[in-house]
Amino acid sequence: MQPHKVLVVDDSKLMRKMFEVMLRQYALVYAADGREALDRLREHGDIDLILLDINMPNMTGLEFLAAMRSDPANAETRVIIISTEGREEDTARGLEAGADAYISKPFRTEQILDVISRLAASEPAAPAPEIPA
Amino acid sequence: MSEIDALAGHRPDLQIDLVEQLRTTVERANDLLRALEGSFEATEPMVPKPAERIRELEHRLSTTDSDVKELASRLVESEHQSGRLMSLYVATYQLHATLSPPEVQATIAEIAIDLLGAQQFVLLLRREDGDDCEIALRQGLGPADRAPFSGESYAGGDKMVDATLADGLLRLGPTDDSSALAAVPLRVQHEIVGAIVLLKLLDHKPILRPEDRDLLDLLSAHAASALFAARLFAAKDRKLRTLESLVKLARGA
Repeated sequence: MQPHKVLVVDDSKLMRKMFEVMLRQYALVYAADGREALDRLREHGDIDLILLDINMPNMTGLEFLAAMRSDPANAETRVIIISTEGREEDTARGLEAGADAYISKPFRTEQILDVISRLAASEPAAPAPEIPA
Repeated sequence: MSEIDALAGHRPDLQIDLVEQLRTTVERANDLLRALEGSFEATEPMVPKPAERIRELEHRLSTTDSDVKELASRLVESEHQSGRLMSLYVATYQLHATLSPPEVQATIAEIAIDLLGAQQFVLLLRREDGDDCEIALRQGLGPADRAPFSGESYAGGDKMVDATLADGLLRLGPTDDSSALAAVPLRVQHEIVGAIVLLKLLDHKPILRPEDRDLLDLLSAHAASALFAARLFAAKDRKLRTLESLVKLARGA
């Protein structure tokens, strides 16, 4: 299932504009740092994908990831880290912290769309509906 | 005893008649056979033999297969092209989206880092009252790093950068005379007012790609005009506020 609402967390106005143009088919919500992103998560209960930068003021992407993953309500929310930190150890650290995918900047538009499609295709099966007794 | 004898007994006239009928029948049968053969020969070329049919289908399949591959490669190319255009559109939009000089500088830095993958770069702006350039933005460099870009201003010293500041041509390095990866002239109308010098890329992006040239050209054409417009607006705004304060003071007095 394709994601419906996407939270873009990046302190760069340029990148937020880039995602706005690139992901017109989704409902987008924006945050400029990790703390603001936690607020957006609380305000919008139906966010199913997060595009997350790492280096941000106030609260970094990894700190945000740890905070959001500690809440079981966000267990199914997919997270793609998009960062200029592109070394192998950075990728490993991001995935260990709970991200579903890691893309290094600068990226190609197709990369982002491919990863979103791949994550949508590998989405865990929805729980079976409860049958009344 | 022959069958004719059996049928006609010993009557010769009947025997002759039967032989004649038999001859006529055989001749008609031959005519029909010839007609059938002719009809078969006429229709044979229209119905391909199985082997020919298989060859034809294989040829069609191979043509379709190559068409699909070509379309797929065109699709990839057009997606790539659309991504490049998107980057250029967003970069241009964002450069001109504000009249705040720090925000324009931040956008220049974001284009260099997020879209070009620059780790170290400087933005040089020619001073109105001198031959040297102000280092308006320095990214990824410590104060003691990378002479001649280490101080508050750049007074020359990197031959590739000096040549770009002189003739306004975009140059790619490194060269024997310069370790800079690119010297991008900044123009306001036809005047060269500075340069962006890329000194190092991020480790995971070892070289500038062909499509990066479009972004460098965009920076050359738009970064300086956006920055100058913002600085001009800020200067006018400051003057206006000063005048307003003076008017207020005068009225109060």
